[in-house]
Amino acid sequence: METKVKSKAMQEFSEAAKTLVNPVVQDWRKQGGKVVGYFCSYVPEEIITAAGFLPFRMRATGSTGTELADAYLSSINCSFTRHCFNMGLRGEYGFVEGVIWPSTCDHVRRIYDNWKRKVETPFVHIMSLPKKTEEPQVGWYRDEMVNLKEALEKHFGVKITDERLWEAIRLHNETRRLQRQLYELRKRKNPPITGAETLAVMVAGTAMPKEQYNQLLKELLDEISQLEGNIDYRARLMIVGGILDDPAYIEVIESQGGLVVTDMTCFGTKIMWKDVDEGAGDPLTALAQYYIADRPSCARMFGDYPRRADFVRDMIREFKVDGIIGERLIFCDLWTVEHYMLDKDLKAEGIPYLKLDREYLLGGIGQLRTRVQAFLETMRR
Amino acid sequence: MTKKELQRKRLEKFIQERDMLHTMIQAFTQSPTAEDQLYAGLTKVYVDHHNEIIRCVEEGKPFIASYFACAPEIYTAMDLPWYTFLTPAFTGALSPTLEDEIDASEKLFGKDLCTILRIAGYYIDEDLAPLPTAIIGLLHPCDGTTVLHQIIESNENWRKVPQFACDPPYWEDERSIDYYVGELKRMVSFLEEHTGHRLDMDRLREVIEVSNKEYELWIEYNELRRAIPCPHGYGVGMQAFGVVASYLAGDPRGIDWLKILIGDAEKLVREKRGKVPNERIRLFWFDVVSLGWSFDLFPWLEQEWGAVIVMDMFGYTPYTLIDTSSEDAMFRGLAKRALFDVPMIRQARGVADNFLADIRRVVKDYKINCVVWPGHMGHKDGSANIGMMRETCREIGVPFLHIGLDLFDKRYTAIDEIKDKFSQFFTAMGLG
Repeated sequence: METKVKSKAMQEFSEAAKTLVNPVVQDWRKQGGKVVGYFCSYVPEEIITAAGFLPFRMRATGSTGTELADAYLSSINCSFTRHCFNMGLRGEYGFVEGVIWPSTCDHVRRIYDNWKRKVETPFVHIMSLPKKTEEPQVGWYRDEMVNLKEALEKHFGVKITDERLWEAIRLHNETRRLQRQLYELRKRKNPPITGAETLAVMVAGTAMPKEQYNQLLKELLDEISQLEGNIDYRARLMIVGGILDDPAYIEVIESQGGLVVTDMTCFGTKIMWKDVDEGAGDPLTALAQYYIADRPSCARMFGDYPRRADFVRDMIREFKVDGIIGERLIFCDLWTVEHYMLDKDLKAEGIPYLKLDREYLLGGIGQLRTRVQAFLETMRR
Repeated sequence: MTKKELQRKRLEKFIQERDMLHTMIQAFTQSPTAEDQLYAGLTKVYVDHHNEIIRCVEEGKPFIASYFACAPEIYTAMDLPWYTFLTPAFTGALSPTLEDEIDASEKLFGKDLCTILRIAGYYIDEDLAPLPTAIIGLLHPCDGTTVLHQIIESNENWRKVPQFACDPPYWEDERSIDYYVGELKRMVSFLEEHTGHRLDMDRLREVIEVSNKEYELWIEYNELRRAIPCPHGYGVGMQAFGVVASYLAGDPRGIDWLKILIGDAEKLVREKRGKVPNERIRLFWFDVVSLGWSFDLFPWLEQEWGAVIVMDMFGYTPYTLIDTSSEDAMFRGLAKRALFDVPMIRQARGVADNFLADIRRVVKDYKINCVVWPGHMGHKDGSANIGMMRETCREIGVPFLHIGLDLFDKRYTAIDEIKDKFSQFFTAMGLG
């Protein structure tokens, strides 16, 4: 499934998504800029930006094996963490001056413990991420942000003022606003951009300085909003899941005629569907409120399933979704149960739901195609 | 299904389990060994608890579903009957339908979610457990435990039950204790609102004082396990945790039971008699000593290799006593205990250093000569520590074995394969 998106902006986004150290990151470093990596979308990127560094979402793009990591992790640890840690052990993350974790899931939080012992990254930090989304948790996470801010200031000798934080918040809100505009175009009957291309745009957003990214995204939006979408598709699909950073996975789905028009993933709507409140009195409180309470939550957040399910329902309605593909990394307990529940609830409401387990590196393409084909057929598409 | 039929369905398994436990008491009572007498006492406690819940259901009285790690002293002080979601962890191995239930749960939740949590989820999904008045959830130590509470949303009856869970911080500092005290107080308000039971501070003080005594006795018992040879093995002594931190938390019957346990261990230590006549290997089993493996693997280890499980994950804890001088002190003590003392929570909730510190301490204190990480298929955070655990063991000069099994489903790794791993390991390390 191809679009007419051939612009320079799209090429840059695609390049950033399919390489680890993309040319923009290389340039940033050549100019003396520091890169700080982070696992999981619960790390407040804005604080890294306010420190003057480039926030870089950790992934294992380009990994080919887990031979070194396997000595430290077991076969029941997810392939995302095994590949990331393997790249760390191989020195492929030498371009980051720091890495930040939240205590997000059993696999990722333990990579922190292994990383700090085995990978020579100058700054490592873990944040205690609550498992609920209420007021006391907002307060707790605000304090965690204070700790992160102070740790960055101390290690790097920088000052992160409130003014800088507000600037960063405005900048990141601008990114989110532009990304939502992109998604708005996908609501069209004939969207001008595919799901795979959109994922590349979103992944690039976690691997580029935001000013540059926003400029490129504006160019892309200008270009594609004029396009007459002419994508042929059999059904409009939504992807629901956790960390999916490989556009090639979506390409396989779309090659069978299922156009991915929206999502609820950690590189998708979860990170941009809401804004940080720019009118709040204190920037860290505004950030904590956004990360813990306001935006669509992760499957790990207790008591918030009804809100997440409603978010999916809203997406289905707004984007005229015909069916849902729920993807899960094998050994992820959080998504095991979330998919079980969404599948049960949405099927009861007449929404087709396909659950797909996958490894981090794209494989089993033939099987994936067959499952998607069969899914589309059951939808009579 | 009528309301009455549904109630019967929900109690069916519970009643079966109660009856099975009752039969076990009779068997234990007829045995002359001190260990079986202790089992009889403990099993009677479980039967009493089952009966209490059944009575609550039949009489429409409030009761809750919860865990061992949510400050159960509070439930005792509130005189609030409760049962744990994880009952199958204790008794499932004896159930003739265990494998069928595992298979049924796999159809719902796949293969890689912890088996015991999967079964608990299956019970909820299929409405096979007593429907409580309220639920106190647990959000640590693992993802599986957290999401078990989401499953509650998937059953139309269970989703109507009010639910609360304390949010666990990742750290072990004063700020974390303050935060968790707030969570525990919110839990009490929630319970008072939904069950009508009240928490009286004088009663809480009494309960904690009894609980402190239980903890003191638990320390005393575990001191005795340091003896060479170790007086008890994988058996009844490992149940001390269940007594102190679960159904008999703050209950004087727990004190009585622990005194008998200590008496038996003390006698054996004085007589220099160990669980195994010729103790050759002192083993630290770094996980749950599950009932499922207690009929084949553990006896085989003792008989074939003279390998005694001297300590496990659930036996070793800081045993912190709680200051009862004020309400604030009691809540702080309960928060500390719930976060930093409760086995498995203590190790797996926060950074990996907690695992490694345990290995160093237990190996030294209990003169351990091999550490075994069973590698239960559900313990993903712990399994991401295997490299660190191996290196720690290497540093302190003690062999380390990682197996890879399911503590509850014996089909996951065949018993012969596990035995073979042990034999090769012991031989290669010159043990036994």
